[in-house]
Amino acid sequence: MSKINTIEVKALTKIFDKDVKAVDGISFNVKEGEILGFLGPNGAGKTTTLNILSTLLRPTSGTATVNGHDILTEPDAVRRSIGYVFQDTTLDIELTGRENLDFHGRLYGLDRDARQQRIKELLELVQLTDRADDLVKTYSGGMKRRLEIARGLLHHPTVLFLDEPTLGLDPQTRRSIWEHIQRLNQEKNVTIILTTHYTEEADFLSTRILIIDLGKIVALDTPDNLKARLKGDVVTLTFKNPAEIETFRPLLENINWVHQINVVTSGNNYAAMSRMMQTTTMSSSMNIGGTMPDMNSRTIGEHKKIPKQSQQKTEKPAADKSLQFGGETCPKCLNLLVDNGGHRIPEIVKLADEAGVVLESVELHKPALDDVFLSVTGRNIRDEKGSFMDMVRHRRIIRQARGQRVRG
Amino acid sequence: MKMVQPLSGQAIYVVLLRELKRYWRAKARVISSVAQSIFFLAIFGLGLGGFVGRFGGVTYLSYMAPGVIGMGLLFGSVASGVSVIFDRQFGFMKEMLVAPVSRTSITMGKILGGATTATIQGIILMTVAGFMGAFTPSLTFLVGAFAAIGAMLLITAGFVGLGVAIGSTLNDFHAFQLLSTFVMWPIFMLSGVFLPIDVSPLPLQVAMLCDPMFYGVELMRWCLLGAGADLLGSLGWLISLSVVAIFDILMVGLGTYLFSRSQI
Repeated sequence: MSKINTIEVKALTKIFDKDVKAVDGISFNVKEGEILGFLGPNGAGKTTTLNILSTLLRPTSGTATVNGHDILTEPDAVRRSIGYVFQDTTLDIELTGRENLDFHGRLYGLDRDARQQRIKELLELVQLTDRADDLVKTYSGGMKRRLEIARGLLHHPTVLFLDEPTLGLDPQTRRSIWEHIQRLNQEKNVTIILTTHYTEEADFLSTRILIIDLGKIVALDTPDNLKARLKGDVVTLTFKNPAEIETFRPLLENINWVHQINVVTSGNNYAAMSRMMQTTTMSSSMNIGGTMPDMNSRTIGEHKKIPKQSQQKTEKPAADKSLQFGGETCPKCLNLLVDNGGHRIPEIVKLADEAGVVLESVELHKPALDDVFLSVTGRNIRDEKGSFMDMVRHRRIIRQARGQRVRG
Repeated sequence: MKMVQPLSGQAIYVVLLRELKRYWRAKARVISSVAQSIFFLAIFGLGLGGFVGRFGGVTYLSYMAPGVIGMGLLFGSVASGVSVIFDRQFGFMKEMLVAPVSRTSITMGKILGGATTATIQGIILMTVAGFMGAFTPSLTFLVGAFAAIGAMLLITAGFVGLGVAIGSTLNDFHAFQLLSTFVMWPIFMLSGVFLPIDVSPLPLQVAMLCDPMFYGVELMRWCLLGAGADLLGSLGWLISLSVVAIFDILMVGLGTYLFSRSQI
């Protein structure tokens, strides 16, 4: 690769208080003009990493350079090189859009002409010119987001950090934000690190995806390469009678084109889950990727497509031990990773018939990033429950992260 | 964390500018503060004044007016310092903290901005009190009024610093109510607005002498009513000015320190 590294991260570790490792010795590089997607569940260490790279937090050990400047010794130069769009809005809603941008320009030392020129240009880029002089409190969520992205770019940063840029936005707005991000990456050649826990967002935008879980990098590759890791297709069987899963499973285990059989358990039993992962080495989850544009998914039978929004809301009490299904509980499902899935479906159905097992539906799809995520972390990304210990750990991290002194 | 941080003029200015813009737009706050002071002046000054009669050579309304202006200064300045809590709550703090400017610059902007807006408030109150007949229009008064504006800036700077210090320590803006009851009201009540110090019982006198606002009110009286007025219990402008200045240094220092180590 001839392109230079805009960001170089070496063995970065952040330990909050005693032994809670929010970021655990991560190293990676980001090349000029790249969009690096940071994919991971809540509490994985994404925001902590961004806060360290933006010099808001000091790492416990390790170091990094941003645009050639060391985060430890040249924090001001790093801050000038970056634009940071935080997860929660950081606009002053009592000021107008233009005033927010002007404030930012002054804070970064731009003179009047440069500010006016740049503000005009960026308002056009994010299509907010006609609302620029309205108070931000009258803006919609998507407009606020666009204004923040514009603000992050105002001082000509070489790198833009976007922390969950579309969190809480509706699908159309999300799509338009994606287009804005893509456009500014291409037109302005801005290097971007984007954190998200939406796999389809990472897939759509990223040049490369870095999957992070429990503070560690578990995978770093292009979206296509990541998906190619899971060779074959994912076939999801839904059983009429859940008890028959155990009857049918041994029959499948002996077939050579079935590479993997997996029940997507809820994250409650994480230890058991990792053990299972070790023995199966790879797994896949049922996924219908509601909003994935290129899902290549065909449904046989009457499997309900679950809209993304409702998937996220289906958080059940932690005591629920049943199997997970793309964020929804599916006690009757079994996922198979098979070669040439389309041709195998008749064989599977025939096998089920012979065994007297009744299948409610059979669904086929190409491995999506959700499957990759599950395969490398052993958890479903939409499963926000986690084990009890994970939850305790996560809460502690969040609490401590809030209590952590931030570098001024 | 480096304790000595470079100051950036433009950063200080932009934070100050933001305070002014927000003040200008929060008309309800300005109106309610002015109205509150008018109630005090009208009900106590004019009402009670008729009963009390002349007081240390001036009418009771005149005696009270500098203190009531001081009340506006006190509440306005502490509130604007404490607004760092809201900046944190609503996220804008991060925008300032991630910028390549020192926290000291941000605190300075905040303090100058808070002092400026509270002083504007004080000037409005001074004008209103003047129209209510609290001050004798004369050249001496005009000079005194300008001196009072200087005094207002000095008094408020310290209290904005106190507000920033409190706002950087409290993480919860529900504590605002407690702050108002247990910090701001005692400071106001003990500042000698209504009663001169030497008619108060001894424990109260001690408490009043510990109240920085007491010296602020003394200073305001000296500016607005003139040195010639026979003011009961007046300490003299030099002592008052010195105490206010020391309070400023302490509070600006404390505010800057606590803000620089506050959490987001």
